Amino acid sequence: MASNKKYWKSVEELNTKSSIVDTLKQNEFVEEIPTDEFLGDKKNLEASSTTRRDFLKYVGFTTAAASLAACEGPVVKSIPYVIKPDDIIPGVAEYYATTMADGFDFANVLVKVREGRPIKIEPNKEANGTTNARVQASVLSLYDSLRLKGPKANGTEISWADADQQIVSKLNEVKEAGLPIAVLTGTCASPSTKKLVNKLNETFGNVNHVVYDAVSESAALDAFEAMYGSRALPDYNFEKAEVIVSIGADFLGDWQGGGFDASYAKSRVPKNGKMSRHIQFESNMTLTGANADKRLMIKPSQQNLALIKLYNAVVRGISTREASPLNDAILKAAAQIKAAGSKAVVVTGIQDKNAQLLTLAINNAINSEVIDVVAIKNVRKGNDAEVTQLISDMNAGKIGALIINNANPVYTLPNSSEFIEGLKKVKLSVAFSMQDNETAKTVQYALATPHYLESWGDVTIKKGHYSLMQPTIKPLFNTRQFQDSLLVWTGSTSSYYEFLKESWKTDILEGKSWNQALHDGVFVTETVEEVTINEVDINAAGTELGKVKGTDFELSLYTKTGLGDGQMANNPWLQELPDPITRTSWDNYLTMSKADAESLGVINHNVANGALNGSLVEITVNGVSEVLPVLIQPGQAKGSIGLALGYGRKEGLKEEMQTGKNAYQFYKGFNTYQSDVTLKLAEGEHEFACVQLHNTLMGRGDIIKEATLEDYNHIDAKEWNKVPVVSLDHNEVEATTVDLWDSFDRSIGHHFNLSIDLNACTGCGACVIACHAENNVPVVGKDEIRKSRDMHWLRIDRYYSHEEDFAGDNEKKEAGKGVIGYKDTMAELEDPSENPSVAFQPVMCQHCNHAPCETVCPVAATSHGRQGQNQMAYNRCVGTRYCANNCPYKVRRFNWFNYPNNSEFDYNMNDDLGKMVLNPDVTVRSRGVMEKCSMCIQMTQATILKAKKEGRPVNTNEFETACSNACSTGAMVFGDVNNEEDSVTSLTKDKRAYHLLEHIGTKPNVVYHVKVRNTEEA
Amino acid sequence: MSSHYEAPIRKPLIVGDKSYHDITVEVAAPVEGKANKLWWTVFTIALLAFLWGLGSIIYTIGTGIGVWGLNKTVGWAWDITNFVWWVGIGHAGTLISAVLLLFRQKWRMGINRSAEAMTIFSVVQAGLFPVIHMGRVWNAHFVLPIPNQFGTLWTNFNSPLLWDVFAISTYLSVSLVFWWTGLLPDFAMLRDRAIKPFQKKIYSLLSFGWTGRAKDWQRFEEVSLVLAGLATPLVLSVHTIVSFDFATSVIPGWHTTIFPPYFVAGAVFSGFAMVNTLLIIMRKVSNLEAYITKQHIELMNIVIMITGSIVGCAYITELFIAWYSGVEYEQYAFLNRATGPYWWAYLLMMSCNVFSPQFMWSKKLRTSITFSFIISIVVNIGMWFERFVIIVTSLHRDYLPSSWTMFSPTFVDIGIYVGTIGFFFVLFLLYARTFPVIAQAEVKSILKSSGEKFKKLRDGNHE
Repeated sequence: MASNKKYWKSVEELNTKSSIVDTLKQNEFVEEIPTDEFLGDKKNLEASSTTRRDFLKYVGFTTAAASLAACEGPVVKSIPYVIKPDDIIPGVAEYYATTMADGFDFANVLVKVREGRPIKIEPNKEANGTTNARVQASVLSLYDSLRLKGPKANGTEISWADADQQIVSKLNEVKEAGLPIAVLTGTCASPSTKKLVNKLNETFGNVNHVVYDAVSESAALDAFEAMYGSRALPDYNFEKAEVIVSIGADFLGDWQGGGFDASYAKSRVPKNGKMSRHIQFESNMTLTGANADKRLMIKPSQQNLALIKLYNAVVRGISTREASPLNDAILKAAAQIKAAGSKAVVVTGIQDKNAQLLTLAINNAINSEVIDVVAIKNVRKGNDAEVTQLISDMNAGKIGALIINNANPVYTLPNSSEFIEGLKKVKLSVAFSMQDNETAKTVQYALATPHYLESWGDVTIKKGHYSLMQPTIKPLFNTRQFQDSLLVWTGSTSSYYEFLKESWKTDILEGKSWNQALHDGVFVTETVEEVTINEVDINAAGTELGKVKGTDFELSLYTKTGLGDGQMANNPWLQELPDPITRTSWDNYLTMSKADAESLGVINHNVANGALNGSLVEITVNGVSEVLPVLIQPGQAKGSIGLALGYGRKEGLKEEMQTGKNAYQFYKGFNTYQSDVTLKLAEGEHEFACVQLHNTLMGRGDIIKEATLEDYNHIDAKEWNKVPVVSLDHNEVEATTVDLWDSFDRSIGHHFNLSIDLNACTGCGACVIACHAENNVPVVGKDEIRKSRDMHWLRIDRYYSHEEDFAGDNEKKEAGKGVIGYKDTMAELEDPSENPSVAFQPVMCQHCNHAPCETVCPVAATSHGRQGQNQMAYNRCVGTRYCANNCPYKVRRFNWFNYPNNSEFDYNMNDDLGKMVLNPDVTVRSRGVMEKCSMCIQMTQATILKAKKEGRPVNTNEFETACSNACSTGAMVFGDVNNEEDSVTSLTKDKRAYHLLEHIGTKPNVVYHVKVRNTEEA
Repeated sequence: MSSHYEAPIRKPLIVGDKSYHDITVEVAAPVEGKANKLWWTVFTIALLAFLWGLGSIIYTIGTGIGVWGLNKTVGWAWDITNFVWWVGIGHAGTLISAVLLLFRQKWRMGINRSAEAMTIFSVVQAGLFPVIHMGRVWNAHFVLPIPNQFGTLWTNFNSPLLWDVFAISTYLSVSLVFWWTGLLPDFAMLRDRAIKPFQKKIYSLLSFGWTGRAKDWQRFEEVSLVLAGLATPLVLSVHTIVSFDFATSVIPGWHTTIFPPYFVAGAVFSGFAMVNTLLIIMRKVSNLEAYITKQHIELMNIVIMITGSIVGCAYITELFIAWYSGVEYEQYAFLNRATGPYWWAYLLMMSCNVFSPQFMWSKKLRTSITFSFIISIVVNIGMWFERFVIIVTSLHRDYLPSSWTMFSPTFVDIGIYVGTIGFFFVLFLLYARTFPVIAQAEVKSILKSSGEKFKKLRDGNHE
């Protein structure tokens, strides 16, 4: 746009005849440039040391330098698409259905992908998928910077072609020598992989496939095989249960592959006045035991006895009349089982075929509807006997080649040294591994495999349920799948993807669409089968079981919610996830009863900053010794100790993650129960990293409200869900009706509420990890946890009762009279009972409508949103921490240091790879600001925007938060209370609904439901 | 002679037969003379402590608040304890100079200059903490209501922390003006006596051209009165507002309506104790025993005794109300204070603040210089612990037992605290060598307030 504006330079221009104006027009430089004066000065010019050539050099140099400097701009690594893929819109997440199957966890999942990066795992609800903490955290293992990044031969890098050529030639040598090839894999439950192993057998002959589970369920598999003919595990639908009796089965943990919490929770929420009754006999305090209505502490050896007695009472109708609490409890349980009939179920975790047979027999005798022996599960297939045989064959030089996939036997085998010895006698040893772990370091060829999010695959978790695994990102490293390798070695030219597709089309799909199956992630075929029951001598099994003798101390090995069998030990989210029971992170330890601790001289004490320290003990089991710290565990059976597997790994782990001690060395005979344990107090102390330092509820019954099923059914809700009262004009009125503030009109637009059912919540911790992933919550490490500086936005508080139950605590508190009585009572209430009642309570920001944090912030960095959310403006926060002090729920978390890009915190936010997991929708907070649960505002806003773009109102129950999405038990329900149809709306009006610390008048947007316990006996 | 009744004579506020000139010389002596070894030693120690503190502050700002011992449950500990402690100490100065001026308490004249200096120096220390305790100090200006480019983004006027900003800055400015006004004739005196041109220049600048005309004196008196009137409400308001930081919260042990008077009493209590500490040393070191007499110390001890007892009443009231309220959380908060893991801090607070001042009922003890000095230290330890007890023991075990934890300071916490003590003494020691530490112009007006001298003359007894 040219301008016609004329700019006047002087008044002189008005005079058109002025000579000055003329001169100015003609001559740009009014004054003469003194070139002559300069160039004419010969004398000075000659005196100068700078020659014309030099001058030109300088000019040349400076020009070059200037242009070079100009070239070095900031390197922007983001590259726009030249041709944008149809399905990738920057800023919009894509979801893909896939399946996680790492040999320990199996789950149908949805993967949230942003700009080509998988950033979060969600349960595939359409495929009835549920996720536990490990499945949720598995996405971070994809971005593990210490992964095996390419094939290696004897520790040095090698190309795939060379590796293939060398391996195939060695395989042929083995074939010629007539020696067998052993394929040792974890449970893969993959039909196509099975076919490929068969193909390997066809090519090289004499291939023996041995399945090995690090944490074995062999006894249960053997028992099921003996009784029902197939080597698999029965499924359980606890929703149908009215009575659940568990003898040592941690079925809310990893028992028989886990995943039972969803159906269990359904039977635990009182419906039509009914809920299940759960009786647990166990030695460790497990998550399952913590959720039970009645819990008995018995040593592992007594569990056998208990099971026999239960069998006798239920099936044979024989009851011993011995007056012991255990006998009494067994008889009562038996009576309840009989009363419930087919609505009852008995499960056991005893790693003994006979014990498993007894429970199958009981369930068969009562015709239990809970157990499903038709749609059997394939999540554990390991065969202890075959593994043992393989190791002895290896040592005898009878094995020609060993191909390991998805297993880390060097770490997980109790007789690992024997295995290593055997490996030396094998001509060819190959390990397919994602990590540079113990096994990968020991074998000749360590072949890098992709993460499941980079892989194709199929899994039959359950009979008739075929799940597909599909890559959601191009492999990050030079990796190749086990299956692809098998194809290459067997001389096939097709890829595993083609093979998989082909094999599905021929075997599984029955002419249905492959694309649809891939979209759904699961393909279900209807199979109706009759199951025949084999004759098994149960009485003989019982007699055999009764022969097991106990010792003074017995060890129960278990897997933790966080690390499981230990394959994800390099995952900082899981390391920092506190154990739901002990609330301790970054460690494994011996759990011991208080009485045993006292007799051994073991102590636990809090140091000046509150952190917990514990004595060290030297434990010897069958000649293997190790020094381990002891955590005194309420509810631990006297004479028993617990120890978690999965810790103590050293290879392929960052130094921070090398926590705990390896407990697999005690896992003799693949039995989690080990007798013949001796303990000796050792020198020194261990430093624990506990997230929760105070264990009891101190009689504060209004924090976790409880009612018995009887009261819930027969008494007015006002009695067991008491609303606090205050004095107003000398009248007692409900605290919720008194308000100091003028209320806003919240009826327009959305108003979010989160409902948490304390009956359904099992404390599993999946929500904690989901929150980590969704909100870029930093990991702070063991030292900081010890300083009570965990950053979890969502925590699951765990309380023990001081008395037998929490009602007893409340009564005790009321009974303490006078100042001294009060003081003594409160001091006593600090100690948990020997066998306490346990309660879980997930706590996150309560999003108070009258938030105490909002009034005190001097800069208004935290203020209330129109939709009920209490929001944090990180940019505005100056970090006075006043809000955190004034928060009655203590949910605010302060950035004490700069957590990202800080080598002091060498976790995922300190390396480029690990940072790929960060959610681009959520700010990574800097040091010095306060942060807390936002009620996933980025998710609610995305939902609103999506509806707006599609020109529709938000659908019923469309709103979700990361935690409510991850919650498989349905304990957490999120929604808009301004929508009458949303499930949360009716939940907030339920007679069990209450707000946490209602008397303060904060009017939270998080609502809890009174925990109802079924205390009905026989 | 002895048969008639003789009215008691006021005790002289300046002892020894001082002439006006003596006062001038003695007040100017520390400024004009050379510092002795003792001064240098104390100054070096203070400077080192200050530098340690400075290093700790720089380390904190460079690394993060995480270098302190705080955690998710205890978000304030030594930082705000120190803040309230220093603000409290600052109270004595204004009380002495403003309130006692309005009440025509002439004994204040011997001590008000140093008391006010102490006020200003301790408010400087106090002001440090709200700033450095911020996670992002570089954004500290966010707490000021200054126009900004964010449109309507304003500070939160509901927040007591913001009230603090105003309270402390008002207090500091009013105190400073008041102090300086009083200093003008004295600076002029130093200016007139100065021999070296540099000193003359400086003191003439500082004295704002004081000439000593009658009009100067008249305005001086008027301004002093007006400022005293302005400053008096501040004595009450500053610590009241500081107490609001706690009183307006919802945390048991903080949420207490008794806090404003209780805090003000505590502040005067600790302030007088600090004045005692400083003046007992200063009168010795700077040879000012004639102006800061036993009588001054005794009077201050009486104030300490009274305010200490008020504070004691407040402690007991708190306990009573906690019990009487019937509120479980409130009851436990106070039970935990007295018998929980921090019982020792509570015991220290009780014994230092409530029991130790009761010794002052004894005339013998309250006129003993050594004993007064010891008690003044004890009271300041006690008052530090009072704030620690209020802040930390209320926070570390509040509503949800799952969050209960403990607090333990790091070397950085200690460093910053010691650093502020060092900074305070650096300032005070410099002041003692460069400022007229006694309000000599005022003191001269009370030289003849007692008839004792004339009585002696009459009796012909010159001792």
